[in-house]
Amino acid sequence: MWLVLPLLGLIIGAYLGSAVTFQLPAVYLKYMSIAVLASLDSVFGGIKAILEEKFDGTILLTGFFSNALLAALLTYLGDRLGVDLYYAAIFAFGVRLFHNLATIRHYCLLSFRKKRSMRQEYDGMRHGEYDE
Amino acid sequence: MRKAIPTFLIICILTGFLLAFQFTTQNKNASFNAVSQRNNNLITIIHDLEKEIANQEDQIEAIRAQLNDLQSTHSKGKLQDLQTTLAKAKVEAGLTPVVGKGIIITIDDNQEGMKANPNDDPNKYIVHDEHLLNLVNELRIGSAEAIAINGHRLITTSEIRCVGNLINVDMSRVAPPYEIRAIGSPKLMIESISMGKLAELENDNYPITIEESEHLVIPAYRGDLQFKYTNKS
Repeated sequence: MWLVLPLLGLIIGAYLGSAVTFQLPAVYLKYMSIAVLASLDSVFGGIKAILEEKFDGTILLTGFFSNALLAALLTYLGDRLGVDLYYAAIFAFGVRLFHNLATIRHYCLLSFRKKRSMRQEYDGMRHGEYDE
Repeated sequence: MRKAIPTFLIICILTGFLLAFQFTTQNKNASFNAVSQRNNNLITIIHDLEKEIANQEDQIEAIRAQLNDLQSTHSKGKLQDLQTTLAKAKVEAGLTPVVGKGIIITIDDNQEGMKANPNDDPNKYIVHDEHLLNLVNELRIGSAEAIAINGHRLITTSEIRCVGNLINVDMSRVAPPYEIRAIGSPKLMIESISMGKLAELENDNYPITIEESEHLVIPAYRGDLQFKYTNKS
C-alpha cells in the first residue's frame, strides 16, 4: 500500500514542477542538479528506513537539508577555486543511491522468500492433514 | 509507520518538483542555443550589409557612367588631349572594364585530400589568402596589367585577407574555386608563377589549372576610391 505513496508524491511534484514557468539563470543549473540528486537520495533513504522500520521524519528532513546545503557549499567553493568540487557531491549521492537501492532490493527479496517459504510450509501442513 | 507518511510525502513531492523543474529547464536550454541565435543574427546583418554594398556599388557605377558620358562629349583642342589622358589614366587605375590577352588560373581546395584524410588538419587542404596573395604577387612580377579574382578587380589599394572560412577581396567574400584572371604577356606571367609558388601548390595536390586566353575580359573596379589624406607633393 505505502509503495503508492512515493509515486503519488512524485506525480504531484512533477505536475507542480512542470506548471512553473519561472526560469532559473543558467549559472544556477549546477545547484539545481545537485538538489535533484540530494532529494532523490532522500527518497531512497526514506524507503530504506521504512523497510528497516527505523523511519524518523526529523532525521530524514534534516538529512536532506544538510546534504543539500553541503553539496551547494561544495559547488560554490568549487566555482570560486576553479576545482569541480561538485563532482564530490555527485559521486557521494550516486554511491548512496546505489547502496540504498541494493538494501531495498535485499529487504524485498528476503521478505518475499520468507512469505513463500511460510506459504509452502502451510500448504505442506494442509497436505499432510489431508493425507492422513 | 503511520507517522512516516507526511514527511515522506513531502520529500517525494519535493523530489518530483525538482525533477520536473530541472527537466523543463534543461529542455528549454537544449532548444535555445544562445550561440547559434547570435550567429543567425550576425548572418542576417552581414547579408543586409552586403545587399546595401551591392546597391551602393550599382549607384557608383551609374554615376561613373554619367561622368564618362559628360567627360567624353566631343570637344576640341587642349581639352581633347586632357580627355585622352583621363581615359588612359582610368584604364590604368582599373576604373574601366578591360579586354586583352592573358591567362586564367583556377585553383580549388584539395577536397580529395581532405576526404582521404578526414582526421587530418583541414587547414592543410584549403586554399588560403596567402596562396592567392603569392599568386597575385608573382603575376605582377610577370608584369600583369590587370588582375581580377572571381570577378573582383584588383587595384592599387586592394587587399586580400583571410576571414575565417572564406577570403575577402576588397571587403567582398570570395569562395573556392578561385579564378584569377590576369591581362598581360601570357608567357611572362606563366614563367613567373612557374618559378615561384606554382610548384609548391602542385606539390600540395591543389587542383590548379592555367589557361591562356586571347580575349580576356576583366571587369571594372566596383568599389569606392577615396583619397582623403593624400595630396600631390
